[in-house]
Amino acid sequence: MVFPLGKTRSDCSGFDQLTRLAKSLELVSFDKVDIDMSGCTWFDANMAAPLGALLYRASHQLNNVRILGASHRLENILRKNEFLLNYGRLPLTDSNVTTIPYRRFEPTDGRYFISYISKYLQGRGMPKMSAGLHKKFLESVYEMFNNAVIHSGTTLGIYSCGQYYPNVHRLDFSIGDLGMGIRESLRRKKQLELAADEAIRWAFTGTNTTRTGLIPGGLGLKLLADFTTKNGGRIQIVSDRGYWELQGGSVRSSLFDLPFPGTVVNIELNTADTKSYRLSSESNLGDIF
Amino acid sequence: MSEKVVIRPYEVVGSPLCVASEDGERVYALVRTALKEGRKVDLSFENVSILTSAFLNSAVGQLYREFSEKAIRDSLSVTEMSQEDADLLKRVVETAKSYFKDPDWLRRAHQEVLGEDDEQ
Repeated sequence: MVFPLGKTRSDCSGFDQLTRLAKSLELVSFDKVDIDMSGCTWFDANMAAPLGALLYRASHQLNNVRILGASHRLENILRKNEFLLNYGRLPLTDSNVTTIPYRRFEPTDGRYFISYISKYLQGRGMPKMSAGLHKKFLESVYEMFNNAVIHSGTTLGIYSCGQYYPNVHRLDFSIGDLGMGIRESLRRKKQLELAADEAIRWAFTGTNTTRTGLIPGGLGLKLLADFTTKNGGRIQIVSDRGYWELQGGSVRSSLFDLPFPGTVVNIELNTADTKSYRLSSESNLGDIF
Repeated sequence: MSEKVVIRPYEVVGSPLCVASEDGERVYALVRTALKEGRKVDLSFENVSILTSAFLNSAVGQLYREFSEKAIRDSLSVTEMSQEDADLLKRVVETAKSYFKDPDWLRRAHQEVLGEDDEQ
């Protein structure tokens, strides 16, 4: 099969296109899968994470996956972030050092994941963030990794990729998995039947959590929402048919026609932010418990 | 009177990055053992640079499953922690108290252990 991949930004239409790719690939095995990028005039580099997840699944179904027709400029971007190394290309040095390379992790790779983020955030071309912002960003992306580990039940891994855009002081970082998605997790663990966008909204509300085990949880997404709002950044979540976006304190959500087979979180960080990052309370160490 | 047991997450994890739930479990196991022995525990976060709610839920939050609020308040102290991490820990503790006050949590935990949640 041939799938023509057009302009792919971190937005509703970019993800919508990936849901259509997911559907096309769903039942294909022992076949040729050609991703035709000849009509792709722009590809947000962080979107390599959800695209990589879908193509990994296609390879796992023993298809022969090829990426064809990308412009020289696009090839360079996707070689610099090492995405195309999975599809027969050679690496290209990221001389500007603005890339957090594409990687696939197993759920047990938590330490490796945090080392990877720490390492690439310190690159020469990476933003000079305040210590507080740097710490909050690391914590937030790890919370997202941990959410994928705990809630998705993925057996095919966790995918991440990031790109810094120095001219606009933005760092986009995406984490995707091929797990059950938030709607299904809610259905199984809380017996709640919600539409996919409503399920994402539920996960961000109050102390809601699908956690049912011996360890409490349910803070990761709320901390991320608090942080992103204060930072002036953006969160996008795609899970099943749901699209949910938080920016400037406002939420926008919608339903795709087709599901994404897992969950993707994209965090867009405002790197020019110099605020201090303390939660609203000021806890006294003698009065924690 | 017995001396306080000092548990250092930096040493237990072997890194300043206290982020993973499974690393929190290691800290939890030590704190739990000490508390069951009736010892007072000082959890010293010296040299820890990054903390997540996932780690703290495992290391501290789940203590509320087994120990009363009073027992924890009387026996556990935290030192060498930044103000922002203290705020995070406070939020984790409040969430854990609510979680284990829900009478339904035990049934749900059993379901998870038995794998009933994962049935189609």
